[in-house]
Amino acid sequence: MTMTIEQEIEVLDQFPVGMRVLAVDDDQTCLRILQTLLHRCQYHVTTTNQAQTALELLRENKNKFDLVISDVDMPDMDGFKLLELVGLEMDLPVIMLSAHSDPKYVMKGVKHGACDYLLKPVRIEELKNIWQHVVRKSKLKKNKSSVSNGPGNSDKANNNRKRKEQYEEEEEEERGNENDDPTAQKKPRVLWTHELHNKFLAAVDHLGVEKAVPKKILDLMNVDKLTRENVASHLQKFRVALKKVSDEANQQANRVAIDSHLMQMTSHKGLGGFYHHRAIPVGSGQFHGGATMMRHFPSNRNLGRVNSLAGGMFQSSFPRNHNDGGNILQGLPLPPLEELQINKAFQSFDSQQNSLMVAPNNLLLLDGHPQSSSPSLNPGFSPHFETSNNKQRLEHWSNTVLSTNMPQSNVHSKPDSLEWTAFCDSATPLINPNMDTSSTSFCRNTDFGSSNAAQTDFFHPLQMNQQHANNWGPMPTEAQVFRNCDPKEGLHMASDAGSLDDIVNSLMTQEQSPTDFSEGGWVMV
Amino acid sequence: MNTIVVGQLQRQFQDYIVSLYQQGYLDNQFTELRKLQDEGSPDFVAEVVSLFFDDCAKLINDMSTSLERPDHVDFKQVDSGVHQLKGSSSSVGARRVKSVCIAFKECCDVQNREGCLRCLQQVDYEYKMLKTKLQDLFNLEQQILQAGGTIPQVSMN
Repeated sequence: MTMTIEQEIEVLDQFPVGMRVLAVDDDQTCLRILQTLLHRCQYHVTTTNQAQTALELLRENKNKFDLVISDVDMPDMDGFKLLELVGLEMDLPVIMLSAHSDPKYVMKGVKHGACDYLLKPVRIEELKNIWQHVVRKSKLKKNKSSVSNGPGNSDKANNNRKRKEQYEEEEEEERGNENDDPTAQKKPRVLWTHELHNKFLAAVDHLGVEKAVPKKILDLMNVDKLTRENVASHLQKFRVALKKVSDEANQQANRVAIDSHLMQMTSHKGLGGFYHHRAIPVGSGQFHGGATMMRHFPSNRNLGRVNSLAGGMFQSSFPRNHNDGGNILQGLPLPPLEELQINKAFQSFDSQQNSLMVAPNNLLLLDGHPQSSSPSLNPGFSPHFETSNNKQRLEHWSNTVLSTNMPQSNVHSKPDSLEWTAFCDSATPLINPNMDTSSTSFCRNTDFGSSNAAQTDFFHPLQMNQQHANNWGPMPTEAQVFRNCDPKEGLHMASDAGSLDDIVNSLMTQEQSPTDFSEGGWVMV
Repeated sequence: MNTIVVGQLQRQFQDYIVSLYQQGYLDNQFTELRKLQDEGSPDFVAEVVSLFFDDCAKLINDMSTSLERPDHVDFKQVDSGVHQLKGSSSSVGARRVKSVCIAFKECCDVQNREGCLRCLQQVDYEYKMLKTKLQDLFNLEQQILQAGGTIPQVSMN
């Protein structure tokens, strides 16, 4: 039976006192400080200013150290490389250190298997908790081996047992864990290394993406201790990422399609105005820390947008009243709105029919992303498009919808259900029943196919975290960053760190501007 | 122990260190470093800043070499140097030095040699200035200790 964390700690008695840390940094000033800080935390510290030396020390005796802390920029070896090697060869927890707050680096760290990523100057408070990574890692190892050695090792039994363990883990960790790291709370992670992922890719390739089912992939991969469930969740993400990649590829064509589609739908010349609202540079002043982005939705302005658009475009087609608020948006694809805001928006709908000014802010937010497609769509229908998450989602989402050329009245009915569902279900359920007309249901996924339901579970918890955590301030760096950046990366973190390397890489390079865009809004210390 | 003298020295010390914070030479990180100093490591701060100044000298020298020839500037090296300097200056709480590094990095990013040279000069000036100031501070500390007193902990809120 697995021990609870508390039990384990008791057994280890002195731990974390005397935990053996290997600290690596080519900067002697920083190394000296780090050493002292670690001593102050009562760890046992070994230092070296060379990555190569560090590797040798580790190879000499794997059991000599419990944890490695390493700087990222070192002349003799890339810190990420060291990280990867240590992870692969010794399977020790590695914490990255850097003066780079750029999320790209943090992402890189995570993808290469870092347990955590700390920014310089490091504070002692941050170091006081690093021992948790050691415990977590050893617990993981224990789980992995117990799971695959169990009797009657069917997938189902595995799943059940794992879920039970997950649940127990979750409980304990929530109790004992100061750290909000989401990776702590899920099932024992399989580390999707490059190698493993490549095997996965090869298997999928062999089977064909459409026909690739977890069981077959698993068989082809032939990896010890890998379960069907691991493969299944990895496959899910893979498919999502694939979809997004292909959506982006279709973006350009869609832009045209969207425009003409809209023109048809509304047959109203008022539409013209909205095409002009393009990439307005995003001022960093807009984003008063991440908090603003996530929480502060100026509903009036959004409302104005909806209204004026509605006024301009739907006069002929749709009634504009409180109860049919849903309908108004029905005609055009609706981005995943936070329900609270939808509610507000529609409640005041009546009273603010034509008079609202649309603050350029809205467009600002929406179009900060140079890749933002469908100018006619985005400005009007994504009032809460303030996070890069939403932004990308909308684009992909709207692209998906429009590329399938849905008939007018059903344009919204087949959105990218993942985001849809996630946003709808995860946010506090504040749907005003009045406005939720049957056909609209932009917050109840009645129109969604069954395949989506499965994915709901996957995304749901993350979205919960993402939107409910509301900690844009003192959150652990790692988790915070991941929630901040590309949602896919965020999802990554929730389950398997280091997965989908290739696809995500390509996505990251494509979407450079989110990082620019969000520079202003991030509270990265 | 001459309590009056010790008292005076301590006040002097306090005023001086506060002024350093106020003038932006030092920031909170320096306070953190001071907290780490104790009987076990009584010269910790002095050691660390000494390492820091050595680093500065070396990095500045290397960067100077890289920037020397107008037709052949190794911006990559300069960038790496600035980055390291930024990291270590932020770790010791050398606020002004760090600020210059930020501007320095920007010049580097756009490959502005002139700008880089100016920043280099400035960072050189700043670290030397800080070195002098801290030297004075440590001297005051020594005087206090020699007069039999204890060094006041100064919290900057």
